[in-house]
Amino acid sequence: MNGHDEHRVNILLYLDNELRGQELEYLLAHLDNCADCRRLLEEERALSNLLHRTRPLYTAPEPLRARIAAAAGPPAAFGDKPKRKHEHLLRFGWRNAQCSGVRWMTLAAMIIVVVLGLTLVPTVVRHAEAATFIDTAVTTHRAYQENQVPLEIRSFAGKVPFQFRLPSSQSSPVGHPAYALSGARLVKFKNENAALVTYQMKAETISLLIASDESAVAAGGDEIRSGNLTFHYNTRAGLNVITWSTHGITYALVSSIHGSAQHSCLVCHQNMADQNVFK
Amino acid sequence: MFLKPNTPLAADIVGVEHINGLFSYALVLTRNRSEAEDLVQETYVRAIGAMGRLRPESNVKIWLFTILRNIWLNQLRQRRTAPQIVEMDVEGINVGIGTKTSDDDPYALYVSTLERNQVREAIDQLPADFREIILLREYEELSYQEIAAILDCPTGTVMSRLARARAKLRALLSAAWQTAVQSGKEVIE
Repeated sequence: MNGHDEHRVNILLYLDNELRGQELEYLLAHLDNCADCRRLLEEERALSNLLHRTRPLYTAPEPLRARIAAAAGPPAAFGDKPKRKHEHLLRFGWRNAQCSGVRWMTLAAMIIVVVLGLTLVPTVVRHAEAATFIDTAVTTHRAYQENQVPLEIRSFAGKVPFQFRLPSSQSSPVGHPAYALSGARLVKFKNENAALVTYQMKAETISLLIASDESAVAAGGDEIRSGNLTFHYNTRAGLNVITWSTHGITYALVSSIHGSAQHSCLVCHQNMADQNVFK
Repeated sequence: MFLKPNTPLAADIVGVEHINGLFSYALVLTRNRSEAEDLVQETYVRAIGAMGRLRPESNVKIWLFTILRNIWLNQLRQRRTAPQIVEMDVEGINVGIGTKTSDDDPYALYVSTLERNQVREAIDQLPADFREIILLREYEELSYQEIAAILDCPTGTVMSRLARARAKLRALLSAAWQTAVQSGKEVIE
């Protein structure tokens, strides 16, 4: 064990505010004189920040959450006997064979059907509609890539049932745009006009399908909520798709950029003023 | 969270406050979605069944995590084999995240999601004892003493294992990050 290993545990304790007294004083004094341990402290702090940013690691699926919520039933006071009916309900939802009474089985089945029905049906419908929008965005993206969809207009004013404004390009400090608007056209989505906008980079194409939220739904996939917005991330046949709805409009951003998130975003933003957002 | 007399006990336990943490822990242990759901389900079944034996001063979170781990260990023993290596079934998992950022920039959020995936992949490459200690400390914010109680080991073991787990995780993430940056530069150039 070298000198830094000896301090590694104390550095973690220090980061976790669990170091006290003489050990704390000793570590602080050591950090003043040891550049390697200071670097180690910063690396550990950066790791902690990264991990904390990614909380929670996973989210329980809705059906599981619904089963457990259904089993919770009315609140019980401290000291009550074990809630056998809850056990039955949970076990029934998971393994039919473990229910012993036909009466409880029937009751539990009815409750589960009602709860799951109320919980899942609207979700399933929304997800199906969202999948349709994603499929259309991916199909349109591919059609454009295969030159089957010519780009013909640069303004959608009066042609789509919504208003929006998009940047045509974003210049980098070194003088040339990282990406540029390559074209746009109208496409049909559920009998409504939708807008297809494409951006071209040196090696990659990004397309943005924009539709009214009366016809298009953003749902499913990996979800991130921010304020009133929810972003949905999906992968379809090697293409990355992000969908979101705001101000009555639903968007689907499709790209074939490979690699990590940082990579995907830095392709456009690496030389720009907002690059720190992605680092 | 500690139980108090006259607390709505069932709601405390099954009120899904800890369900994300339990599901994450189960997924980290099993690396399989259906097994993880099964494990969480069984944890709640046992917890509800044992509510009457819970002391008022008990820490429900620690109690639930301990139940989950004990069930998992029992399942492993029943299989009479070493833990199976199962491909992690992450696709299709509802990973609603709930993370808030300071603005509504979709790119920043996109980064956040893919960053999370990168972290998940790195954690998935860790050995089981490293995966669980990272989860318990960094995601569930349990103290070393609480982790020691769940893992049934000395606090010193928690400290040293956590240090080794973090070092390994940092190395994995650094490698992934370097690869991403390098390939990003190649595309730009």
